[in-house]
Amino acid sequence: MAFKMHEIRELIRLIDESQIEEFEIQNEETTIKMKKNNGVTAQTVSIPVATQPVIQHVEQPTPVAAPVAAEVASPAPVVEATPVAAAPDMEDATLHKIVSPMVGTFYRAPSPDSQPYAKEGDLVQNETIVCIVEAMKLMNEIDADVKGTIVKVLVENGQLVEYGQPLFLVKTS
Amino acid sequence: MPQSIRDEILAVLLDRQPNYLSGEELSHKVGVSRAAIWKHMEELRAGGYEIEAKPRSGYRLVYRPDRVAPEEIYSHLQTKRFGREIQYQNHTPSTQIIAHQWAKEDAPEGAVVIADEQGDGKGRLGRVWHSPPRTGIWMSLILRPPIALQSASHLTILTSVGIKRGIERVTGLDIQIKWPNDLLIVGKKVCGVLTEIRGEQDCIHYAIIGIGMNVNTKKQDFPKEILDIATSLTIELGGDIHRATLIAAVLEELEECYERYLQEGFQTIQQEWESSAYKMNQMITVRTPQGNHTGILKGLYDTGALKLQVDQGTIAIYSAEIDIEKY
Repeated sequence: MAFKMHEIRELIRLIDESQIEEFEIQNEETTIKMKKNNGVTAQTVSIPVATQPVIQHVEQPTPVAAPVAAEVASPAPVVEATPVAAAPDMEDATLHKIVSPMVGTFYRAPSPDSQPYAKEGDLVQNETIVCIVEAMKLMNEIDADVKGTIVKVLVENGQLVEYGQPLFLVKTS
Repeated sequence: MPQSIRDEILAVLLDRQPNYLSGEELSHKVGVSRAAIWKHMEELRAGGYEIEAKPRSGYRLVYRPDRVAPEEIYSHLQTKRFGREIQYQNHTPSTQIIAHQWAKEDAPEGAVVIADEQGDGKGRLGRVWHSPPRTGIWMSLILRPPIALQSASHLTILTSVGIKRGIERVTGLDIQIKWPNDLLIVGKKVCGVLTEIRGEQDCIHYAIIGIGMNVNTKKQDFPKEILDIATSLTIELGGDIHRATLIAAVLEELEECYERYLQEGFQTIQQEWESSAYKMNQMITVRTPQGNHTGILKGLYDTGALKLQVDQGTIAIYSAEIDIEKY
């Protein structure tokens, strides 16, 4: 089973935002290695081209079934050590993820000088609007669609988000 | 919405224009006494309508003020669903807010909220649309499209095409579309669209298309600092436009585009959009929250994203501002 494009993109993004310098992941068919060009991590750079990770696709003819799971999970401790909300997938698996239903720009507030829709620690109901994702001047107000407490906001205001990308972690109640 | 007796009288008079309608027939059609008719006529006159009363001929509508009330629009409208239900507000802070509420209740597809005056137009991300009273069109159209959420951006593209056609039909002016959906006349903005949706991955509960248009706004009504980037239909045309007529035309064209899109897909809409695109095949700079990109505008992707040819190849732009070049 090959990696899907959006999975690779998501990986790049997560690595990019983290302080991980090198990263390797493999499954039955493919190994992906990523290495940053320099030691500088890209946190608030507006055009992240300079620090984008290098991707190498390596065809791996010999399947190594057993260790794969361990390989995938291995970066977790590293990620947790970083202060940035970089790796939602590696967070506590019991937390609910509110994901983006489309590609677009993530906005935390209805206007630049308004309060954010939802902050860490806020209680949300199914109907609570937690953010807006905008693409092509189409404003999509995202419902929490779950009842609980916002544990973490995973993306920055104004950040471009992908389809299916986690935006918030919620401890359900 | 139940029509008031006054609205009904007006609708009947409009229907008969430019001929006379006898008091008796009017009273029969509306179902109230002739004395009541007379009372409502006085109210209409107080509202700016000129109604001529001629012995033995009856009543005739001579002049109607430029209102956007439902009965004014209905008398022009040739649609199946769009604008068949209208909530009219004399004045409102925002037609979008009312439309959201109505959509959450039971508004049918095609329902429209229209205001004669808008207090604080809700623009993208809370920006305020400049709205002098009774000179523009402020309306919100409620849709319930049977499409996936990822396709919702098609709605903004088809909206711009529909409005463009409506304006062109009524005024004969040549309209360009600035990605994704600002309408321009010779490089100045005349109409903006804000689309808001509520939905989940696999379905859209509803979409609200908010339209703000400068129609009879005079030059002196615009703040000086936006005069070189904004205009109105009356400035470009040199004469005033009956707004209700324009609204009816816009709704008809929007309905046509929407139905064509649902039946045939995005392709013909995309072609139409590209043939009127502002700066098509020209160099532009887009500002995104992640930084600026400069390249050549090559049209749309089938998602509705902007196709920009830059040094490294062609990139898709999902959210950005394209500045209007000042002349």
